[in-house]
Amino acid sequence: MASLKQHKAIGEDLWKARTDKINAELFTLTYGALVVQLIQDYEDYNAVNTQLEKMGYNIGCRIIEDFLARSGIGRCSDFREVGEVVAKVGFKAFLNITPTVSHSPPVASAPALSYFTLTLDENPLAEFVELPEEALEGGLWFSNVLCGVLRGALEMIQMQVEVDFLSDVLRGDEATEIRVKLVKYLEEEVPAGDD
Amino acid sequence: MSNHLFLLSPADSPLYTLTYHSSKPSANQPLPLSSNLPTWSTSAFAGTLTALSGATGVAQTGQTNQKQIGGGTDRAVVQMIANASLDVVEEAMRTNNAMYLKAVDKFNEWTVSAFVTPGNMKFILLHDSKNDEGIKIFFWDVWELYIKTMMNPFHTAYTPIRSPTFDARVRASAKKHL
Repeated sequence: MASLKQHKAIGEDLWKARTDKINAELFTLTYGALVVQLIQDYEDYNAVNTQLEKMGYNIGCRIIEDFLARSGIGRCSDFREVGEVVAKVGFKAFLNITPTVSHSPPVASAPALSYFTLTLDENPLAEFVELPEEALEGGLWFSNVLCGVLRGALEMIQMQVEVDFLSDVLRGDEATEIRVKLVKYLEEEVPAGDD
Repeated sequence: MSNHLFLLSPADSPLYTLTYHSSKPSANQPLPLSSNLPTWSTSAFAGTLTALSGATGVAQTGQTNQKQIGGGTDRAVVQMIANASLDVVEEAMRTNNAMYLKAVDKFNEWTVSAFVTPGNMKFILLHDSKNDEGIKIFFWDVWELYIKTMMNPFHTAYTPIRSPTFDARVRASAKKHL
């Protein structure tokens, strides 16, 4: 089990080794334009949240391959380690931020009920963004795509999780927090038609 | 000394207005004509009359409440002056390519300074004392704050600016430079 320091180092290396980086402002503006367009198209903030999550899911399914190929990190021993790797290596390698992780208290009887919470102190997707009144009342989670990414990525490595936002500074809360809850470990399924 | 700032969109709709009274002393105050009129007469006509005649209004008591609208220099007149100056600003824009057009118009004791952004936003400042350097720096500060507001994806070129942080920062900048 790699230690915390090693995770950090791996994350740093991955970020530095990546040659095709994008300008942060361009990224922020693109994502902002995307959210605004979705709002105009769907006109219902819950539908927008769902769409962002779906888009994130598609991204996550692909991003995990990239991540595993570059980082070469092996299987995590438990859900705690999953949380550490996601925060220190995953987020660092793709967004250059390191959210803080806080884990749930271990439940001996049902290990599958564990969760971890990521607290993002800076969110590159939401720089300069201020939500208008209707968005605040409608319950928009601006960075919901991140939830989808986490769900998609973890599902590809045989973990079914529920990811949602607990709080968001754009909504006036104190911090931006994402909770990743483990539902169950998925069994390897043989694709239909194989024998 | 009081200043009135107007931020106008490319369609000349007002996005943000601010009235700021600074503590710097202005030029000698002409005796208000309204001293002849009874002080209870706050009818629009009386206010306009005194303002148009160049007096600085009835209740100009130095560091008053900045949100005061009536009583002091008549708000309607100030807006009229600002709107009237737009023609002059546009004419100046055609000849002068710089962003900061200094004092474009003068009305009694009010001078109108203008600043035009590359996105065709106009910042109009009505002020009663000369302060070109300070005003230029103030306009640049407001421009930077405006750019940050524009970065918000929910904000279009015609959205009125209501953010309290923007307001606070503009006031702080006004305090420093005006």
